[in-house]
Amino acid sequence: MSAGRSPPQVGAIRPYEFPTIDRRRLSNGMDVRVVSQDTVPIVTAMVVLRAGETAVAAGDSGLAVLTADALEGGTSRFSSTELARALEDVGASFGAATGWDSTTVAVSCHAEHLARAVPLLAEMIRRPAFEEAEFGRYRQQRLATAVQRRMNPSALAVDAHARFVFANGATYGRPLGGIEASLARLGADDARAFAARHYGPAEAAGVIVGNLDPAEAVAVLEEGLGGWQRRVEALPEPSARPRSRKRAVHVVNRPGSVQSQIRVGHVGVDRAVEDYFATIVLNLILGGSFSSRLNLNLRERHGFTYGVTSSFAVRRGPGPFAVSTAVDSAVTAAAVTEIFREIEGIVAAGPNRDEVETARNYLAGVFPLRLETTGQIASRIAGMIVYGLGDDYYRRYRDRVGRVTRADVAAAARRHIRPAELCTVVVGDAGEVAGPLEKLDIGPVHVHDEIGPEAGG
Amino acid sequence: MIEIEQHTLANGLRLVLAPDRTTPVVGVNLWYGVGSRNETTGRTGFAHLFEHMMFQGSAHVPKNGHFHHIERVGGSANATTWFDRTNYYDTVPSHHLDLPLWLESDRMGWMLAAMTDEKLENQRDVVMNERRQRYDNQPYGDWDERMQSLLFPATHPYHHTVIGTMEDIAAATLEDVHEFFATHYLPNNAVISVCGDFDADHAHSRVRRYFDEIPPGPPPPPVPGTATIPFATGETLRTDVHAAVPLPRIYMASRVPPFTTDAFYPGEVVANCLGSGRSSRFYDRLVRTRRARSATCHLLPLTTGVTIFLVIATGFPDTGIDDLEHAVAAEIDDAGTLTEEEVARAVVGAETRTLRELQRVETRADLLSMYATCFGNAARLNDDLSRLRIVTVAEAREWGRSFLHPANRVSVRYIPGGSPTADEPAT
Repeated sequence: MSAGRSPPQVGAIRPYEFPTIDRRRLSNGMDVRVVSQDTVPIVTAMVVLRAGETAVAAGDSGLAVLTADALEGGTSRFSSTELARALEDVGASFGAATGWDSTTVAVSCHAEHLARAVPLLAEMIRRPAFEEAEFGRYRQQRLATAVQRRMNPSALAVDAHARFVFANGATYGRPLGGIEASLARLGADDARAFAARHYGPAEAAGVIVGNLDPAEAVAVLEEGLGGWQRRVEALPEPSARPRSRKRAVHVVNRPGSVQSQIRVGHVGVDRAVEDYFATIVLNLILGGSFSSRLNLNLRERHGFTYGVTSSFAVRRGPGPFAVSTAVDSAVTAAAVTEIFREIEGIVAAGPNRDEVETARNYLAGVFPLRLETTGQIASRIAGMIVYGLGDDYYRRYRDRVGRVTRADVAAAARRHIRPAELCTVVVGDAGEVAGPLEKLDIGPVHVHDEIGPEAGG
Repeated sequence: MIEIEQHTLANGLRLVLAPDRTTPVVGVNLWYGVGSRNETTGRTGFAHLFEHMMFQGSAHVPKNGHFHHIERVGGSANATTWFDRTNYYDTVPSHHLDLPLWLESDRMGWMLAAMTDEKLENQRDVVMNERRQRYDNQPYGDWDERMQSLLFPATHPYHHTVIGTMEDIAAATLEDVHEFFATHYLPNNAVISVCGDFDADHAHSRVRRYFDEIPPGPPPPPVPGTATIPFATGETLRTDVHAAVPLPRIYMASRVPPFTTDAFYPGEVVANCLGSGRSSRFYDRLVRTRRARSATCHLLPLTTGVTIFLVIATGFPDTGIDDLEHAVAAEIDDAGTLTEEEVARAVVGAETRTLRELQRVETRADLLSMYATCFGNAARLNDDLSRLRIVTVAEAREWGRSFLHPANRVSVRYIPGGSPTADEPAT
């Protein structure tokens, strides 16, 4: 063996700090956060609105998403085409994105065009036309997306798992993009009313990141949004009631499937959970990385799958904890058995010391890797705003990750994973997979031909 | 403007260094000049399966040790296989620069010592499941197989897909692994790019330390088959697929000049004008008018004699497939009327997109490897945008007329309903 063939020595670590956030306020009190960087001449400007799907009543599922879609459908001054041209003429890209807890409307462009792009962004938020015909187009597109989700096995598995994990009527039991029955009857008036109730400066925030002068950036935002006045309604609390506290198996029949899409999990934790850092370390070890227990078992030992992951969807309320994979139909029951084995194993015995150290190092190391672009930084700041994280949150992030112990992770596993309550969803050929699943001790097997909006369990 | 240094090691390995000390991260990226185009009959999908085997260890690294080492220091690693190349990339905190260099050099030089039948069997299963997940169990999953076999004659290296057939994946042997490694995985058939937070002289010496002792091999054999074919299919060729898909969709493709030619640039302008962004013709004339749910245009950067101009258009549940095709074809046929304003918008859009992409060391390193591989000069990345800027409206129009006509077009049409396997040729 030559000298070059043994693992290398490590150089000296270089310091990294989350960029400094300059906090300002517009004259109407709107919260603004600016990060100025001397890098590539690109800027991202974003307005964060607390108007996610959680803000929508059960019968209006999809309204927050549709309202945000329709923001680019024209304003009182510009048609949809004029708006797109005005932005794309200078190379700007723009769009709105809606999650459970927020809607963000963002534009990204060359730094020299910031003063042109931000007023258009403000225009979309303050004066959307919500014209009926144009709104109808977005509705038709969302309906088509819902049809696509029904026929895509992995999307169907995600939606079916949410449906069976959460109780009927629970916020998180429905698909984020809305159910067809409510989408079909939503109109432009509903969007107008939703924006009037939930888009307003007091609850909104502006985020601008990039190669810019902070004073200029704030001045541009002030011009566009400083005169915006509107009071918004308080947000309802999301409901995350579980359907059941017992194990159950739901097979969604997709005859002829050559693979089974598998989801195993239950109601997870919310963003404010006390032991958040122990929980993300736990998830990395169980199924959140290539070297996770689940992936090394199902993929690298058994060859059952191309990949398997686990995740805790953290929101204002507890989203699902889920293990996700797709396997050859013939090994469905064997793969589910191994998933249960790994879940039960980490709850019973916790992780080992090496796993915890690896996971801690991973999180500390990838931190700057995920903060290279203006868009990535703006998204992190948006998350700080939506979840009320302190200004020093990312400055202390690596320290807090570094302090997570083996005992903390073992405790998080016992607290947040409940093997006796696991709900298993399999989207696949029921004729082939239901029988073998019945032989496992993972709860009664229900076979469904389709998943209605309020399917029983 | 990216600061670039280029070297060639004695064994033929080309090295590109692009230091930038903004963020303490470093990206290492290797392009091997081998992809699905190099596969021989009965071994489709092998380049990709081989890429999987590259993570199964080497003489001094255990199975999955690559991921374990990289994840342990907070890095990320992956690889992809495409028609013309296979890339491997690692991004790590910059004080761990040596780690990816050591790992990548160990598998470039000492991979075969770690290969076993058991590992091959495991990764054959993994890849077959990848195929099931991404192609066989996915609505429209077989579109590229159908499109490529229609667009390219059986003798062209792009006739078959990167994933390959189940039979061929199952047939791969350990001997194939040995032969493929000896033929293609050579320092003289690779480029390594290092981007990010480091000193160029230091990085140069570290690369030499790990890679210098790997011996070169004979130049890889020519790509099998016939790369040079006319930019024409003779007529519009169609395949109708009555399948369990949610919405009608058309994949329309044409043979056009490859990435390595000057004629590629007007093509990029045309593709952006027609199908990129919300002021594009497709969006404005097809999506806004509800004739399509979505419609986009893509010019792939392929190099082997020809590349693919691709249009993907999806309808609504009640859109007729002929209506969808006519609407899309009418816009393509109308490319001869592109305006100054549209061309300018396409160029500035591409410029801003490139700037945005270059923020990430991973992308920067990959693009540098790409330019070094395709042009023998990574620095060409810096003036590539200027080649786009000089494209005139007349050139864009002429490009559309020359390459996108109905006698250079294939159309794979998915029609909802029917059994998943039905397949009848139309026209």
